[in-house]
Amino acid sequence: MDVGQPSATPLAVVAPRRARFRGLLPWLFLAPLLVPLALFVYWPLLHTFFLSFVRWNLQPGVPMEFVGLANYDGVLASTLFADAAWNSLIYVLAAIPLKVLLPLPVAVFIWSLGTAGGWYRTVLFLPTLISFVIVAVVVGWMLNPIAGHVAALLANVGGGFGNPLASPDGAIVTIILLSGWKVFGFNVLLYLAGLASIRRDLIEAMRLDGASDWTILRRLIWPLLTPTTFFVLIATVIFSLQQVFTPIDILTEGGPENGTTNFFYMVYQLAFRTFDIGRGAAGTVLLFGLLLVITLIKLRALDKRVHYQQ
Amino acid sequence: MTRVTRAALLRRALPAAIGAGLLPAPAVRAQAPIEITYYHWQTGVAGRSLRGLLDAFQAENPGVVVRDIFKQSDQITAEIQSVVAARRPLDVAQVLGRNVLFIQANLPVVPLDEDRAAGEWLGRFAPNFLGLGDRGGRPYAMPHSFGTPVAYLNLDLLAQAGITTPPATWADTIAAALAVRERTGRAGIAHIQTGNRDYGVMTLVLANGGRYLSPDGRRALFNSPEGIEALQLWGDLVARHRVHPVANDQQLTAAFRAGQLAIHVNTSAGLQPAIAGAEGRFRLGIAQYPTFGAKPRRVPSSGAVMMLFSPEGPRRAATLRLFEFLSRRDIANRWSRETGYIPLSAEPLADPAMARYVEETPLVRPTIAQMPDTVSTDVWAPNGAVEAQTEVSNLVSALWAGRGTAADLVPATVARIDAILSRLNPA
Repeated sequence: MDVGQPSATPLAVVAPRRARFRGLLPWLFLAPLLVPLALFVYWPLLHTFFLSFVRWNLQPGVPMEFVGLANYDGVLASTLFADAAWNSLIYVLAAIPLKVLLPLPVAVFIWSLGTAGGWYRTVLFLPTLISFVIVAVVVGWMLNPIAGHVAALLANVGGGFGNPLASPDGAIVTIILLSGWKVFGFNVLLYLAGLASIRRDLIEAMRLDGASDWTILRRLIWPLLTPTTFFVLIATVIFSLQQVFTPIDILTEGGPENGTTNFFYMVYQLAFRTFDIGRGAAGTVLLFGLLLVITLIKLRALDKRVHYQQ
Repeated sequence: MTRVTRAALLRRALPAAIGAGLLPAPAVRAQAPIEITYYHWQTGVAGRSLRGLLDAFQAENPGVVVRDIFKQSDQITAEIQSVVAARRPLDVAQVLGRNVLFIQANLPVVPLDEDRAAGEWLGRFAPNFLGLGDRGGRPYAMPHSFGTPVAYLNLDLLAQAGITTPPATWADTIAAALAVRERTGRAGIAHIQTGNRDYGVMTLVLANGGRYLSPDGRRALFNSPEGIEALQLWGDLVARHRVHPVANDQQLTAAFRAGQLAIHVNTSAGLQPAIAGAEGRFRLGIAQYPTFGAKPRRVPSSGAVMMLFSPEGPRRAATLRLFEFLSRRDIANRWSRETGYIPLSAEPLADPAMARYVEETPLVRPTIAQMPDTVSTDVWAPNGAVEAQTEVSNLVSALWAGRGTAADLVPATVARIDAILSRLNPA
């Protein structure tokens, strides 16, 4: 046996193996995140797309029937669709001033207080921690037209049996305000996180140059806060339709006269009240498409105005 | 201390495990109990009562274990659907009356006459409660947790308004409600709504002698003089007489229990909570559902039936034994006494325990007296129920807001409902 001649075979085998293992290593580390994401997010998403083209109620042994766009037609022709679309728009538009713009000055105020702002932070964040089911039930009690606190106040000023949930306008305003109150503190906290990343020495430098509070806010704080504002805007708009689901279901069931329903609630009703899986899936795909389009428009329109560097 | 390595442990344990597998286990396996899975929406007092009945069944059938699973009433049909889709065990489920057609059309429900003795044990129920489960002449559901609409009375508020006799007709009821509003300033009356106001409308229409839906649930039939008159009455209570507050069922029930509402037309199944709520606050009374003049009383039942899903074999046989057990007069009566649901047996008072209970509990007598006047609830066709019920709800809102008379609004609503149902349920 020639021991002087080094054998090339073992090295040639080992090297590609190691290289292959090194190539797989990042995927192994990512697997705990990617596998659940694929199983519980992307697979249901793809399956929902598939279900939107068939008539099938998920039952094993029952053949599914390909129906093309009939489920989409069923959603668009639904008597709930027009009101759900209109109300969805109202919920989204109302969310911007209430949940995106208003928390900003409040956050700046709390931030300016320094450590003394902790109490305000706690008070404002508290509603976020309370279950929305409990909030909706308690508000239902308060607004009880006969035995609620609001009725008692109205009775003192000469009103009787008034119920804001009884009229379409009153009901949607109530749900918008309730949802705004619930999310307000969370968005304030997001803005505070954004504010915490702004260097104080930049502010001091502006002050030394004689800049007023308003100038500092407009020229420094606002531009540096645009990434946070952008995130809050996108997240709020996407979630604005599902945030109101709980109060709708508990307080109004979409009424009165479809006054509070939205796309999200309509999809729930189709899928889980009438168990029409095909139309429910088609409604979900339409909702997904709508939110995707809104988000892409916002990205194109606003991303250039966002300042990511201090 | 002797240290045992993992390999050594495996070497010792493996033969033992294989040996255990070869032991004569069939004797043990033969005694393994048959497990029945039962989905229901009973909670609190009713949940404990149901478990008590199931324990009694198990005591009588030592080889059977009933596993009961609670789900909210609104979610139970979706849950059953997902249980079947996921091939999880399901033997029996409590199903809301309004979902019976969907389940019978879409899920693997087994007709009860698979049991040759079903005719005998279903015959123990009053015939007017069996219609809900009857499809094509075969029984698909057994009545179980039924209520009937009755008038809960705050006797103190009524006395303050000078009313000492429980109102028997709608004319009496309106007069009493007006007197309450004028003399006490409190709300006079509220009518049950339930299911997007669908049940409330159905109750009023049937009570006035009208028809609500066709037997297949594909056509609305309340565009009739009786239907229009009944719905105009509900609109008038709110918009004309101003004695009926605009609120949902939860708000109205809370207001009645707080002593702020004189008459609450609600399901008899709420009797026990109503007694508890009134205690120390006001004297509670119960009256039968008001009639429209001299017309005979006819009201729909509310509540749930039991449906069978067991696969063929010992589980199905055991589940059918459970159905038979729950159909017995003494068991159905015990369920009624403990929960407030109506006793469903043909002659409930033939049971001495029930007769004694009714004698001792006067508040339950109007419900018992109303049993023969209670008919099966009408059920919507499998597809489009949400849209149809929303149309019904919108009609009631428009009547309450005084945006038209029932004669103006009902025909258009019924036309829209029929269009929705025919489009989504092609023949």
